[in-house]
Amino acid sequence: MIIYHSINDLVSLSEQLKLPMWQVIRKADCEARQVSEEESFATMKKMYQTMKQTDADYDKNLVSPSGMAGGAGEKMRVFNASGRNLAGEYLGLVMEKALKTGESNACMKRIVAAPTAGSCGVIPAVFLSFEEFNHMLEDRMVEAMYITAGIGAVIAENASIAGASGGCQAEIGSASAMAAAGLAYLQGGDNECIVHAMAFALKNMLGLTCDPVCGLVEVPCIKRNSAGAVNAVTSAQMALAGIRSAIAPDEVIDSMRRIGNELPACLKETGMGGLAVTESAMKVKEKLDAR
Amino acid sequence: MNIFDIIGPVMVGPSSSHTAGAVRIGYISRKLLGENVKSAEILLYGSFLATGKGHGTQKALVAGLMGMKADDNRIPYSLELAEELGIEITFGEALLRDAHPNSVLLRLLGETGRTLEIMGESLGGGIVNIAQIDGIATNFSGDYPTLVVHNIDQPGHVTEVTSMLAHKSVNIASMQLYRSNRGGDAVMVIECDQEVPADSIQWLEHIEGIKKVTYLSLQG
Repeated sequence: MIIYHSINDLVSLSEQLKLPMWQVIRKADCEARQVSEEESFATMKKMYQTMKQTDADYDKNLVSPSGMAGGAGEKMRVFNASGRNLAGEYLGLVMEKALKTGESNACMKRIVAAPTAGSCGVIPAVFLSFEEFNHMLEDRMVEAMYITAGIGAVIAENASIAGASGGCQAEIGSASAMAAAGLAYLQGGDNECIVHAMAFALKNMLGLTCDPVCGLVEVPCIKRNSAGAVNAVTSAQMALAGIRSAIAPDEVIDSMRRIGNELPACLKETGMGGLAVTESAMKVKEKLDAR
Repeated sequence: MNIFDIIGPVMVGPSSSHTAGAVRIGYISRKLLGENVKSAEILLYGSFLATGKGHGTQKALVAGLMGMKADDNRIPYSLELAEELGIEITFGEALLRDAHPNSVLLRLLGETGRTLEIMGESLGGGIVNIAQIDGIATNFSGDYPTLVVHNIDQPGHVTEVTSMLAHKSVNIASMQLYRSNRGGDAVMVIECDQEVPADSIQWLEHIEGIKKVTYLSLQG
């Protein structure tokens, strides 16, 4: 049986079996669910294609029931096309796509939870932009999706991917770490590079609180998808440049768990602290309650 | 851990607990009722009540009651669809004590007059727990074909049910027994690895001392 419980396990299994990391993760999936390699790959491909569909179906006119979410992805697209893009073409596109998927989720459109609905924009933003920008073969993107899934499974087992138990670091932080690892692979990084990209991304997000306005997956979640996606690119680029994390990747995950436990309840999806109790948030709440 | 719980599920937003989980509770309840819903009283509790509107929880529950799954694009329009089909839906507040923060109490009436009361809890990530059926505590996720048998608390009913399952080559994954009091109402919840044949369920319904049989099929 191929079973992994840590980032170290993934790296050593990849060396022992002389298989790329994504194939180790696929093999483990085939054994766990009793499916063939082709079936597993087809399921992952469907997930990736659904992400693509969500992006393509973005409706710039949609507004969420609270009135807080909608139209930001379109504004970013227009700005990116205006010639004043600060961040470079790839990063501009990453930001635009993260907002689009995050807003689509808030407006009750179909998305892929990756790892959660609140953080569903991070991985598609990084991956779809990379595919478009570099004219990648879709199958190669699906291989990288396995890396994101394997890394996410390790984080879920050793820390958390739920805002209610770990804060936003567990949602956007995890998504960003997963995306960074996949992106490092796509750009030709080896296993060491992949796991250090993961470590950088997660370290940069440690301590992030979950304090959404009115408990809705809108503010600050949607824009944080954009920040998490850009952080994934920063992190992959550092790892690809040969920079290494001083803290071992598994220890970063363990830190995230401890920090999550130490965060007070008011900052873990209860709507009782942080941004959720600001004057502006109260005004939104009054309007919502009045309906 | 299933990697498609990490990348996935495919769902209509915005929240895996308040939207996808709510659809699932509705869907399982519809399956347990075993027929189309004629009317439903939907009583919300805790965070479902407080933030449900912004998360589309009400639309999600109704969509599930109409047989939709969490990735159905019609979820945002479920209230209008229910009205077109003449399904009577009322919403209210559930008065529960120490319940899970994302709980809902559903009182359902089917098209042939069958009734069912279900308490569902959305645990996060789209995972749910059916915590009560007709007032008696239960504990199952709806991930397996699940047989729920209400009987009078007297010797022999467990053997009747498990012998039937053995005879039909249905393996039991988990089994729970509950009763209100000695000799009173009892409930068996049996999660199975295979589907239970429809005629076997009908056979169970006719056994003396068995008051009601509900079954969650994963087919169709």
